[in-house]
Amino acid sequence: MKRSLTALAAAGFIAGIGMAPAIAQEEFKIGVLMSYSGISATIGASVDEALAHYMEEHGDVVAGRKIVLVRRDTTGPNPEVSRRAAIELITREKVNVIIGPDYTPNVLGLAPVLNEMKTPAIITGAASDGIVQAQSPYYLRTFYSVSQNIKPLAKWAYDEGFKTIVHVTADYGSGINAEEVFKATYEEAGGKIVEAIRVPLRSPEFSGYMQRIKDANPDAVMVYMPLGELPLMFLKAYSDAGLNKSDIKLIGVGDLTDETILDAAGDTALGAMTAAVYSPSDPSPENQAFIKVQDEKFGGEPRVSLSHVAGWDAINIIYEGLKAQEGKPFDPDAFIAFAKGREFTSPRGPIKVDPETGDLIQNLYFRKAEKVDGEVRNIPFHVVPAVVP
Amino acid sequence: MREDPALAGFFRRRERWKLAELLFFAACVGAYFLPDAHYVLMSQVLIWGMFALSLDLLVGFRNIPSLGHAAFFGTGAYAAGLLGRHGVSDPVVGLLVSALVTGLLGLVMGLVVRRLHGLAVLMVTLSFNLLLEEFVHKARDLTGGDDGLLGIVISPIFGLVRFDYSGRVGYVYALVVAFACIWLVRAVLNTPWGIRLRAGKDNDRRLAMLGANTSADIVWLFGFSALIAGAAGATMTQISQFVSSDAVAFHRSADVLVILIIGGAGSIYGAFVGAAIYIGLRDYFAAIHPVYWYFWVGLLLVLVVAFFRAGIVPTLARLAHRLRLRTARRTEARP
Amino acid sequence: MTLIPLLFNGLSYGVLFFCMAVGLTVTMGMMRFTNLAHVSLCMLGGYFLVQLTAVWSVPFLVMLPLVFVLTAALSAALEVAVLRHFYRSDQLSQVLLTIGLLYMSITAAAWFWGPSYKAVQLPQWLVGQVEFAGMSFERYRTFLLVAGAAITAAIFYGLERTSFGATVRACVDNQRVAAASGLNTSLVYTLTFAIGGGLGGLGGALSANMIGLDPNFPLRTLVYVLIIVSVGGMGSIMGTLAAAMLVGVLDVLGKYYLPSYGGMMIYLIAIGVLIWRPEGFFRMKGQHA
Repeated sequence: MKRSLTALAAAGFIAGIGMAPAIAQEEFKIGVLMSYSGISATIGASVDEALAHYMEEHGDVVAGRKIVLVRRDTTGPNPEVSRRAAIELITREKVNVIIGPDYTPNVLGLAPVLNEMKTPAIITGAASDGIVQAQSPYYLRTFYSVSQNIKPLAKWAYDEGFKTIVHVTADYGSGINAEEVFKATYEEAGGKIVEAIRVPLRSPEFSGYMQRIKDANPDAVMVYMPLGELPLMFLKAYSDAGLNKSDIKLIGVGDLTDETILDAAGDTALGAMTAAVYSPSDPSPENQAFIKVQDEKFGGEPRVSLSHVAGWDAINIIYEGLKAQEGKPFDPDAFIAFAKGREFTSPRGPIKVDPETGDLIQNLYFRKAEKVDGEVRNIPFHVVPAVVP
Repeated sequence: MREDPALAGFFRRRERWKLAELLFFAACVGAYFLPDAHYVLMSQVLIWGMFALSLDLLVGFRNIPSLGHAAFFGTGAYAAGLLGRHGVSDPVVGLLVSALVTGLLGLVMGLVVRRLHGLAVLMVTLSFNLLLEEFVHKARDLTGGDDGLLGIVISPIFGLVRFDYSGRVGYVYALVVAFACIWLVRAVLNTPWGIRLRAGKDNDRRLAMLGANTSADIVWLFGFSALIAGAAGATMTQISQFVSSDAVAFHRSADVLVILIIGGAGSIYGAFVGAAIYIGLRDYFAAIHPVYWYFWVGLLLVLVVAFFRAGIVPTLARLAHRLRLRTARRTEARP
Repeated sequence: MTLIPLLFNGLSYGVLFFCMAVGLTVTMGMMRFTNLAHVSLCMLGGYFLVQLTAVWSVPFLVMLPLVFVLTAALSAALEVAVLRHFYRSDQLSQVLLTIGLLYMSITAAAWFWGPSYKAVQLPQWLVGQVEFAGMSFERYRTFLLVAGAAITAAIFYGLERTSFGATVRACVDNQRVAAASGLNTSLVYTLTFAIGGGLGGLGGALSANMIGLDPNFPLRTLVYVLIIVSVGGMGSIMGTLAAAMLVGVLDVLGKYYLPSYGGMMIYLIAIGVLIWRPEGFFRMKGQHA
């Protein structure tokens, strides 16, 4: 009896699931595939705000097409979920272009899908080398590449006089990538990595690693960690162990003192010198105007960071690409060809899509975390222009 | 031992395929032909259903709490992935090999756990799951770590039908595998061994006193359960040609337990009902309210445990049965 | 000589786990109730602390007992309203019920306080290091060790010297006989649950600074707490103390000496101990504390 009823119920449910509706295609749909939940929820929120800002300024009709955004949550570095979401966006929601995904595992997981379905995607949140055009001819990236960020940083570190460095990163693809690139560049210049520590992504206890740093006593500590809570906890543990009062200097990639965690980090971030492709404190008029409108519209929550600009630049490229295809049905290959080698204006400074890698050729800003008007901010002190990815 | 015809008849009647079961299969087949069917979602329901069925063997039929079943699902998934990556791309061969490998792992687990009860079983299964999860993350060269295993190649089934992204072929494949698993579970549970196993659920000490080797039974049960879980995992990998550490994550173990309880443990099809409800709800909420959907899962779980402890469908079945009895008695009493 | 700072760090880490796990071990030993939502109470304690420090500028040392009281009150309410109806249910039901509560608590916390990590403002005297014998020790961790010792002493005193403690011990040993002797077992249960929950909340509040407080806190700590309770032995406070210290120290040492595989060690140990001694190191029967 029980089994019969459950079988019947199961039958009903399976049929019900099968009839989940899909939406027909009329407008130009852009799929937004970012993290909206979990620890990286601010990334998705940032991109959303930037897109809303852009569409308000430029309208939602381009070249005769009405732009519709369809959002899906990658929930963090989750290639399983991202793949499914992308397949759903493309086959059922019929999106033409995707903004996203974030995180290297998601990017890698999506590549075969994009190839088969011929859908361009603009990566807005993963930094590993070789994951853009190398993975799929339909990938572009408005974020940064590890080499682009690390190589100038490594050279600068040696020139600054840091002869020994302890390299700390998280144990994941991008982190290991960064460690290898830094080590190669830095040691070629003449420096020495005395210790390379890989912290597990889900590590609540840092004291052991701080002890290792103390034991090694380097000139500087170089940190590469993904956006989110890990750099925050690192900064805290670093300061708890008293290392920020020592002679050891702290350097890293922009994620270490990203604006989204700067408030929570507070004084623990002071003195850290980071290199990033975007610096919100950059005094250029485009940047200041961008930040002003963002803060007015969204109250500075979350603070404007690279994620905002990545989203902005992505939709800008799409709009420009559509203008070039006015009156014709959307051609994904033509879109990619259009973007390659083209220059665009961006709040971060001048950018150009590198035809070889699909990445951006952009400036690299060196900043120091200092206290200004009672708030901790990243103040730029040096620029390396037009860094090739 | 003389055969009691009434008793034999009872068991044989239980063995027969009920109309409702056939309807279930018909509905699954029919769903394929629905216009605009969401094949990817339906395949997921079947895969989770198989996975929940494997857990049902432990939890529903024998009351062994396991908080780490994703270890077996993940093993099957990665086995199929590794085979696909290293040259063995035929799906059927891959499926069988993965399931068997996982089954062996299950036997080992059974040997470890057979004399433990309660909290200890829970903790050992959980710890093993977490251990495997750590291992998958660390052994990047083997498993791809966080990035997932890339470069998996799955050939067309029997050299004819290729897996594509619309999910049609995947759905049919998952359906066939699910049918096979259900048939296998039914068949095994109706053997003398299977019947003895289910008897142990209520009072295994009594059963041991009757002469059954209960700890050996547990070992074989773990092996069988792992086999089915491994088949589910392998199917998932083969359909999407991708596997990531999500397959072996602890939250997958928790989710499958939730699915089983919602649908109803101990009834084979309850696993699929639970899967359909859970996946359906998740898909619905993911579009609207991605962050907070776990709140409703939690609430559903609390309500199910409080009021529908046997699972939604079995409880309703019981109510329906009681209602039928009551009306039968009333019509009898009327002169 | 780096072993000393490592042990110091490990032990202070263990104090946090002890506070969080002790409530669970007593409720599991006494009421035979598997309460996975215990870690949610720990998280709540942490958020109470954050909320209080944001609203009032009360001294830290006053804040902590307040957190204890608030979490204890909430735990008592939870016990009376929901949990006590499931004391007779089978273990699986309890596990599922409390997992459901756990999920609800995580999403509720995300709703109220947002998904990001919350910082706790520490008073000046707890920030920085203190020098001793040529080595520097974090002030906060030193405080944890002192507080941990005080809490442990209070627990043992309470159990061994007060009549309430004697009642608790009686109920843990044998509920039926205790009830038959006329003890008001349901009141004892509620009070014990309250104290256990309060201690858990205190543990959570103290951990906010060291392992970070966010809505996922329960999931991050659940496994550690369960391992400590099962390895130490259900119902045994001594066992929980030993297991908590062991887990804390081994985790820190593991991450220092084997940074790649350190994370796996805890699970291997848990499996090993449970196979060898399924009831944990300190069996419950015949043991008072």
